[in-house]
Amino acid sequence: MEAGPVNGRRGAGPWLLLLPAALVMLIAFALPVGMLLARAFTHPEPGLQNFILLWERPVYLHVLVNTVMIAAAATPVTLILAYPVAHAMAHGSPRTRRLLTFLVLIPFWTSLLVRSFATVILLQRRGPLNTLLVNIGVIDAPLPLIYNLTGVLLGAVQTLLPFVIFPLYSSMRRIDPTLMPAALTMGASPVRAFLRVYLPLSLPGLMTGATLVFISMLGYFVIPALLGGPRQTMVGQLIQDQVGQLGSWGVAGALSFVLLAVTAGLLGLLHRLVGLKAVAR
Amino acid sequence: MTGSLIRPTRRALLGAAAALGAGATARTARAQSLRGTTLVFASWGGAYQEAQKVCYCDPFAAETGARVVQDGPMNAARFRTMAESGAPDWDVVDVTINTLFSGAHDGLLEKIDTTVVDTSRIAPQFVHEYGIGCIAWSYNLAYNTRTFPAARRPTTWADLFDMRQFPGKRTMLDQPVANLEAALMADGVAPADLYPLDVERALRKIDTIKAQTIFWTTNSQSQQLFVDEEVSIGIILNGRAYDASKKGAEIGIAWEGNIQSVDYLVVPRGSRNRAAAMKLIEVMTRAENQARLANMIAYAPTNPAAFASIDPAISPWLSTSPENTRRGFVINAEWWRQNERRLMERWAAWKLAR
Repeated sequence: MEAGPVNGRRGAGPWLLLLPAALVMLIAFALPVGMLLARAFTHPEPGLQNFILLWERPVYLHVLVNTVMIAAAATPVTLILAYPVAHAMAHGSPRTRRLLTFLVLIPFWTSLLVRSFATVILLQRRGPLNTLLVNIGVIDAPLPLIYNLTGVLLGAVQTLLPFVIFPLYSSMRRIDPTLMPAALTMGASPVRAFLRVYLPLSLPGLMTGATLVFISMLGYFVIPALLGGPRQTMVGQLIQDQVGQLGSWGVAGALSFVLLAVTAGLLGLLHRLVGLKAVAR
Repeated sequence: MTGSLIRPTRRALLGAAAALGAGATARTARAQSLRGTTLVFASWGGAYQEAQKVCYCDPFAAETGARVVQDGPMNAARFRTMAESGAPDWDVVDVTINTLFSGAHDGLLEKIDTTVVDTSRIAPQFVHEYGIGCIAWSYNLAYNTRTFPAARRPTTWADLFDMRQFPGKRTMLDQPVANLEAALMADGVAPADLYPLDVERALRKIDTIKAQTIFWTTNSQSQQLFVDEEVSIGIILNGRAYDASKKGAEIGIAWEGNIQSVDYLVVPRGSRNRAAAMKLIEVMTRAENQARLANMIAYAPTNPAAFASIDPAISPWLSTSPENTRRGFVINAEWWRQNERRLMERWAAWKLAR
C-alpha cells in the first residue's frame, strides 16, 4: 500500500492509521454480512424466490410489523428513563459523574444471556419482586411481569439505557450552563425554559440515542425469546430458525435484507421529520 | 491450514518413533494401530460431553493410541457449513435426529462402515445408514409432585390439557416438535396413527391452554420453570427432569406416550480420518461404555445389553428401559424433515394469533 501521490506523506498518514480498523470491519463485518445478504439472491439458486416466499406467506410480514412495533414501544421508554440520568451526569459534580458512569457501565460486564436469565428469576410469578409486593400488601396476586410485552420492554430497556445515556450526556455537556438561568431571569417558567431552550439543545444526543435503541431493538433475539410470550415473536427469532433449524441461508438472507431495508427506510423517515443535521452534529 | 501442514509431520515422526521401538510385541502394535492419528469429536458441551469423553473417547484413545480432541458445541448451522465445504474440522459429531435426516438427504454425511461398527448390537430403531444412535431421550409429561401428590397424579397427555383436574400454569416447547404429537394424543389419536400429523387439530387443542402456557426456548429454561415452581405441569426432556429432581425439585414424570428422540453419531462428508472415526463410533456402541455413561449422566443407551450393568435407581428415568420404551415411540423425523418449513411458519403464525 503506497501513499497516494496527490496528498503525499502528510495526507496519507491519518488514513493509514484507519486501515487496521477498516480491515477488521471488512473481514469480520462487511464480508460475512454481504455474503449473507448475497445468499438471499443466490441460495439455493439464483433468483428472487426467497423474497417471493416472504411475500407469499403472511407470517413473515406479520412478524416484521410486530418487530417494528416492539422496537417503537421500547424507544420512548428508554429515552424517558435515560434523560434524567444523563442530565445528572452532565451537570453534577465530578464525583456524581464518576459514580453514575460506573453504574451505567456495570451491565456491560455481564453477558446478555446471563442478564436475561437473571431478569426471569427476578420478575417471575414467585420471584423476589412479586413475593415482596404481595407480602407488603401492595398487590393481592403476583403481577404478570414476564412472558409478555412488559417482560420484553423491561429486559430491553435495561440493556439499551447506556446507548442513550452516553450520547445524551455528551450533548448536554456542550450546553452552556448559563442558558437556563438566563431564560429563567428573562421570565420563562422552568417548564417553558426547558422545552424551548434545554430540550432543543439536547436533541442531537436524544436522536442519536433513539436511533441506536431502535436499530438494536429491531435485531433482538435473546430477550424476546426468554422474556416474551408467544405474541412477542420478533424477526431475529425467525432468522435464527431459518439458519439453525432449516439450514435455509437464502430465506435467512432475504429476511435480513428486508430488515435492513426497513431499518434504513424508517431511519430515513425519522431524520426527514426531525432533521438529519441534529444527529450529525 | 497450519493443522494440515503440521499433522503429517507429526504423524511421520510418531510413525518413525513407533518403528524404532521394534521391541514392542505384535499385540501392542496391532492394538495401538491408530497411534499418531488425531480425531476431533464434537458434541453439546457441558456434563454430557464430559461424560462422553470419559466413557467413550478415553477408552478409545487407550485402545488405539489415537488422540481425541474435544470440540463444540454442536450447532446445526455450523455443522452444515462445515460439511458443505467438504473439508470439515470435525470427524465424529453427536447430532440430533433432524440433522441426521437433513444431512443424509442433502449428502452431507459419510455412510456408516458396518464392517467396523457392529450394528446388530444396537436396537434396530436407532440404526441408520448414515448414523448410529448413541443415546435416546424423550419428551415426557412432567408435574410438580407437591401440587399433585400420589393420589391425583397426571398420567397421560390428556391431563396436560385438563385445566379442571390439573389447574395451574403449564409449559410446552416454543416449537411445534413434540407439542403437536402430545396435543393429538391428548385428543385421542393413538401413537401409531399420528403421522401425518393433523396440524390444525393439534393447534386447536393447544389453543385451549394457550393463555396458561409458558413456551420454553432452552432446556435450562424448562428445568428452571419446574425448579422455581412457575409451572405445575408441562412437557420436558426426561434427562432434565432427572437433573432437576436430583437437585431437589419436586418433579415427577409420566411415561405414557413418551415421545422419543435420539442423538446420532455421524461422520461429516470429507472427514480426513474416516476410518478412525468409524472405530470411535464402534467403541461408543459397546454395552459397557454406554452403561457407564448412563450411570454417570442418566442418558439412555441404544445398546440394550447395557441395561445389565445400569444402576436400578437410574433405570426408571431412562427412555429405553424395557418398561419405558414400550410406552413410547420414536418421533418420525423424516415426516418432520419434509414439513419443517411449513410447520415453523405455521407455529409462528399461531403464536401471534389471539
